[in-house]
Amino acid sequence: MAEQYKSLHPAKYYRDHLKHDIRPDGRELSDFRPVVINVGSIKTADGSSIVKIGNTTVVCGIKAEISRPKADAATKGFLVPNVELSPVCSSKFKPGPPSDQAQVLTQIIADIVGNSQCINLEELCIFPDKIAWCLYADLICIDYDGSLIDACALALISCLKVVSLPEVSYDPSLDKQQVNLEKRTPINVNSVFVSTTFAIFDDKLILADPTVEEENLCTGTLTIVTCNDELCYVHKPGGSPLVDEQMSDCIEKCMNRSNSIKKLIKTAILENI
Amino acid sequence: MSELSPADFYLPGEIIRNLKSKDREVIIGPGLCRNESDTKSLIASQAGYLCFRAPNTYWLEGRRNRYIPKKADLVLGIVTKKSSDNLKVDIGSAESASLSMLAFEGATKKVKPDVNVGDVIYAKVINAHKEMEPELVCIDQYYKAGKLGVLSNEGFVINLKQKLIQQMLNPENPLLRTLGRKFPYEIVIGVNGKVWMRANQCKDVLTLCRAFQIAEYQKETDIIGICRQFK
Amino acid sequence: MEVIESFENNLNLKCKLQVLSRADGSAMFSEGQTVVLSAIYGPVEVKMQKLLIEKASVESVFKPKSGLPGVSDRYKEYLIKNICETALASALYPRTAVLVNLQEMQNQGQLISCAINAVCLACLDSGIDMKFLFGAVSYFLTKEEELTLTPPINESSVKAMFVFVFNNTKGDVIASHTEGRFSIDQYKTALDICRDEVKKVFIFFKETLLDT
Repeated sequence: MAEQYKSLHPAKYYRDHLKHDIRPDGRELSDFRPVVINVGSIKTADGSSIVKIGNTTVVCGIKAEISRPKADAATKGFLVPNVELSPVCSSKFKPGPPSDQAQVLTQIIADIVGNSQCINLEELCIFPDKIAWCLYADLICIDYDGSLIDACALALISCLKVVSLPEVSYDPSLDKQQVNLEKRTPINVNSVFVSTTFAIFDDKLILADPTVEEENLCTGTLTIVTCNDELCYVHKPGGSPLVDEQMSDCIEKCMNRSNSIKKLIKTAILENI
Repeated sequence: MSELSPADFYLPGEIIRNLKSKDREVIIGPGLCRNESDTKSLIASQAGYLCFRAPNTYWLEGRRNRYIPKKADLVLGIVTKKSSDNLKVDIGSAESASLSMLAFEGATKKVKPDVNVGDVIYAKVINAHKEMEPELVCIDQYYKAGKLGVLSNEGFVINLKQKLIQQMLNPENPLLRTLGRKFPYEIVIGVNGKVWMRANQCKDVLTLCRAFQIAEYQKETDIIGICRQFK
Repeated sequence: MEVIESFENNLNLKCKLQVLSRADGSAMFSEGQTVVLSAIYGPVEVKMQKLLIEKASVESVFKPKSGLPGVSDRYKEYLIKNICETALASALYPRTAVLVNLQEMQNQGQLISCAINAVCLACLDSGIDMKFLFGAVSYFLTKEEELTLTPPINESSVKAMFVFVFNNTKGDVIASHTEGRFSIDQYKTALDICRDEVKKVFIFFKETLLDT
């Protein structure tokens, strides 16, 4: 019976559950889904990670290439994130060029990386104006079940933590570079960002870490990214208005969560070694 | 018409209190919606001046550029598609209006009116619901055409702003009369912003177009003033 | 008139409505040195794939000053589309589309807030039904930890930037966008100051509409 009720009146189905402070998947309103992190599983990449938040699954692989720095930033390397929403993850996405949502997500992830300054791009430069590392971070969504920004951000940061780059020696007089693949060094990650998404249901209830169903039914979302003790991204793209108390409440929850997530990343990396 | 005061100017989302019709029901026109949390007040949904007509009608006089079909509006449209018993007419709304071939005076299943794609039609909206396509007719309730129907191909159609259309349809507005003193012309004004004109000379039609286009950006009082000078 | 003077010093807003003849509503809006042109068409006929049964679908297009639109412009489109969907009374126009077009003319750091305000004025100009108004304010945090409304001339001295979008009914936050790193307290301070500033933006909207 519940199955039919859910498909006929999805909003009412949720409202009935939320009245009793519980969500259809058994969580309380401010509960998060379990998070699973695995790093270094893709051996061909220079760094990789798989992140699961509930059912949402994102794979991140980082490939390093040697390129020439831009003329206006001669001492800087590159970190280029790219989010791919393949038809595998949801029937919403069709094959072909990246959808608008994928492009927006790519921009959001790039903004988060830029804002948090987790990587000093100058450290990626090997020789000014000549050669620098370009890290291509491909984030591929395998299962789309909401809170995708969180999953992508988490996959990217845990992946960056395990990236190691081969040693490169460069001779400017001969314009020759030599790559020593045997000797690899990890890159410095200055800070760890943790993203948390909230959904606003019926203009007043706030659901933490929404699933895709909840995201579709809700009237707005709010994503907060913390970086150490600071905030580096507060993203609310329209939707229901929020009062300040709700906002502060969300920031606080996000801060609390970030500590446990950071521990999780650490454990995942330790296990890998 | 009384001068509109800035105190009566409302923006979307602003609450309108102090309604004059106390215990009677309020009839609301364009630009307003009811306040669900307080039944004694209204909420503006457009920018404009609040107007009131006794005993209990309120509406907002704002700017509206895109035509939204309303029942009983007299509109001007252009036929865009013709099938055996139906015409599609562009009246400037989001969706093309439909006009039955039988909705002309004297039309039967066998005798169909001579209408072609590209013809200009003066018609009445008999059905306008946001969920459905608007429906037009070219007959009144006595099955007579009156002034409705296909307009001559020798005319000229231009689009004007809704504000000017309302002013021109006001019989007290001197603009059309003043122009008529200079040269004879025929004009059909649709509330959807389309205007059809015909004059003896091409030059006169262009004069009309120019006059209307200038009038679009003038205040109503200014138009009346200018017209007086030409008396 | 005092109010106008005081915010002209702060935000320096200027606007011209009905700048385009074909659009239903259009506005050229400038905030400091940033200028955006916006045009609204709607409700118009909708493409089959974007048709929504219960409300109007909003499409937004953002064109940068030069070059082809990129991924960052997609993000602005997405933000503006979402704000419009919240603010417009789209349930009144089911099975139609509302097209929002934006053209960047000049950018001195307040592009997003300027674009959002330009859209709101274009909506008001077009006479489309709205649930409430929205107004945006940009706020800057410099490297010296100073908060300022005017964008610093030297772009590299900006540590963080906030853009808040408020509605005019209760002054709640509809949208928020941030760049850079900042503390929670700084965020809250910026939010409070912007909430005060946005009132001046709404007064400016009213003045503009009364003038034309």
